[in-house]
Amino acid sequence: MTVATTNTPLLERQYARLGALLIAPTIVVFSLVIVYPLLAAIYLSLFSIYTPTLEGDFVGFANYWDLLSGREFWNSLRVTLVWTVGTLSLQIVLGVGMALLLHQNIWFRSLARSLVLFPYFLSTVVAVLVWRWLFNDLYGAMNHGLMQLGILDMPLDWLGSMPNAMIGVILVGAWKYFPFVVIAVLARLQTIPDHLYEAARIDGAGPIARFWDVTLPQLRSVLVVIILLRAIWDFKEFDLIYLLTGGGPVTSTQTLSLLVYQEAFALNQMGQAAAYSVGMMLVMLVFMLVYLRKTGGR
Amino acid sequence: MADVTLKNVRKSFGTFTALENLDIEIRSGEFVALLGPSGCGKSTTLRMLAGLEFPSAGEISIDGRVVNDVAPGKRDIAMVFQSYALYPHMTVGQNIAYPLRKRGVPKDERAAAVQKAAELLQLEPLLDRKPAQLSGGQQQRVALGRALVREPKVFLLDEPLSNLDAKLRSYMRAELIELHRRLGKTMVYVTHDQLEAMTMADRIAVMHGGRLQQFDTPDAVYNRPANRFVASFIGTPSMNQIEGTLAGDTFTRGAMTVPLDRARFAAEDGPCVMGVRPEAVTIGTGHVAATIRLVENTGHELIVSLALEDGTRLLSRVEAGRRLSIGQTVQITFEPDAIHLFAPEDDGARLNTDEDASVIPMRSH
Repeated sequence: MTVATTNTPLLERQYARLGALLIAPTIVVFSLVIVYPLLAAIYLSLFSIYTPTLEGDFVGFANYWDLLSGREFWNSLRVTLVWTVGTLSLQIVLGVGMALLLHQNIWFRSLARSLVLFPYFLSTVVAVLVWRWLFNDLYGAMNHGLMQLGILDMPLDWLGSMPNAMIGVILVGAWKYFPFVVIAVLARLQTIPDHLYEAARIDGAGPIARFWDVTLPQLRSVLVVIILLRAIWDFKEFDLIYLLTGGGPVTSTQTLSLLVYQEAFALNQMGQAAAYSVGMMLVMLVFMLVYLRKTGGR
Repeated sequence: MADVTLKNVRKSFGTFTALENLDIEIRSGEFVALLGPSGCGKSTTLRMLAGLEFPSAGEISIDGRVVNDVAPGKRDIAMVFQSYALYPHMTVGQNIAYPLRKRGVPKDERAAAVQKAAELLQLEPLLDRKPAQLSGGQQQRVALGRALVREPKVFLLDEPLSNLDAKLRSYMRAELIELHRRLGKTMVYVTHDQLEAMTMADRIAVMHGGRLQQFDTPDAVYNRPANRFVASFIGTPSMNQIEGTLAGDTFTRGAMTVPLDRARFAAEDGPCVMGVRPEAVTIGTGHVAATIRLVENTGHELIVSLALEDGTRLLSRVEAGRRLSIGQTVQITFEPDAIHLFAPEDDGARLNTDEDASVIPMRSH
């Protein structure tokens, strides 16, 4: 006993030292790539900086004053929210629907399961080029098809006018990212015990009642995580929108990410761009806190 | 209350035949156990009664109505699953009320029915809990509550006790017997545990390889097993079965001869199998010599493993306290009234004629 009591703390100290040593590289890398840029952004946002030279004067909170009083940030925030809510709801509806379909015993199930991942694997640049071609107002397949079907009598300018441009962006976003929802929901669906459905059938529940009373409650936890993660990712989506519309027409699809890019590299106002990105980060912090609260307990 | 009938029912999954020529008639208010080893078709039978599987041929009727094409929810049955299958996001009260809610029973009636079921099963203090917060036995009672709340014609129970520990299982067994007595409803109970079937059921349907082997009272199944399978499946330890030859008034295996009263058997001379339950093998006197190979003390009795001269193994049950040592050679007797003869095939039929001669009092255990 005496040996154990004098030895254990020493061993524990050694383990603690080893543990600290093992996580040290992570902490160093983490600090370099996350903490430093974060602090640098906040620091930059206090200056009026010309991007090519990265030189400028300290202006205090003037950039933030411009952010609060100007139209740009608020317009972009509104655009970002419309885009996020729009594309995310479509992703969830399409994703859950497709997952339910692929969970059935249909003959092409395994093929369909791999095909459905296709948009998610495809490079954004390639996908967007294809979609731009489809959406083109002169030779696009979309207008051609819709006119053949008699739904349109005139070609529509899909990406060059509102609200078509926003609808187009939302649709492409939903198409690109709904497979993520399918995969996560499908994985959860497969773990729902058959007995629950059988019990519900015996209790007199029809297919719709079984969806609401068995399937959906079982999907709840995974949907919370998907919605929060996708909300964060969609909120800061850049390449898809930038390549598809470049934020246009004018600024009607200019989300916050595009605004920051425009300010930093088109208008060469690095300080103002940093202020915008700090503002954007604060909005995202809300999502993150909700996410941590929802998942922290488990 | 309803009688349940399966008429010439067959069930195949692809090329595999799970059940064949199944004929069972269950009387109103009866407690019937479907008993058999894994894969014998007992669960498939129950699932067909529930409407979760459909028979490939034959007819199933409940209370005089053919239900082959009736959806599970419309058969007026309730089922208790082995895994309980409670809805995890609903409270105990909501779980029990669910079948009533799906049938559009008004809220106050629902509450009253839930209250009644909860009282019967002592679930009142748990009504607001979620299933995950309950012990296995409590979840089991909730599943029972959900089954009995809407007063179905038939209760179907699929190995409801097999997820409980031994002590709780024997307690719930008594509870279920009591419940059946009080409700007087038809109950069909699937189990692989012969003790459950023997203690609870009015009649036992012993199944094996997709076929019904015997459908009779626990007493008859034990004392007059229809064939070698039933004889070996019912009873712990199971019946000794000795292959040998019947000639005149004796059964012979190697050096061992056993005198028989031929009037008790409808067997012809030739190869056959003698069956003797371990409690009918007495140690001490007799003209058959055997060597003791193993003695297992269960506390209230000894299970003695014996070897005949030609190496044939036998089991005997004797009262605790006997001094028997391994390696000792003893004389044994087979109680003449307790001898069964079977046809020599694997599922050979029993050849006794006198239906009641072989009945010996069952020991309490």
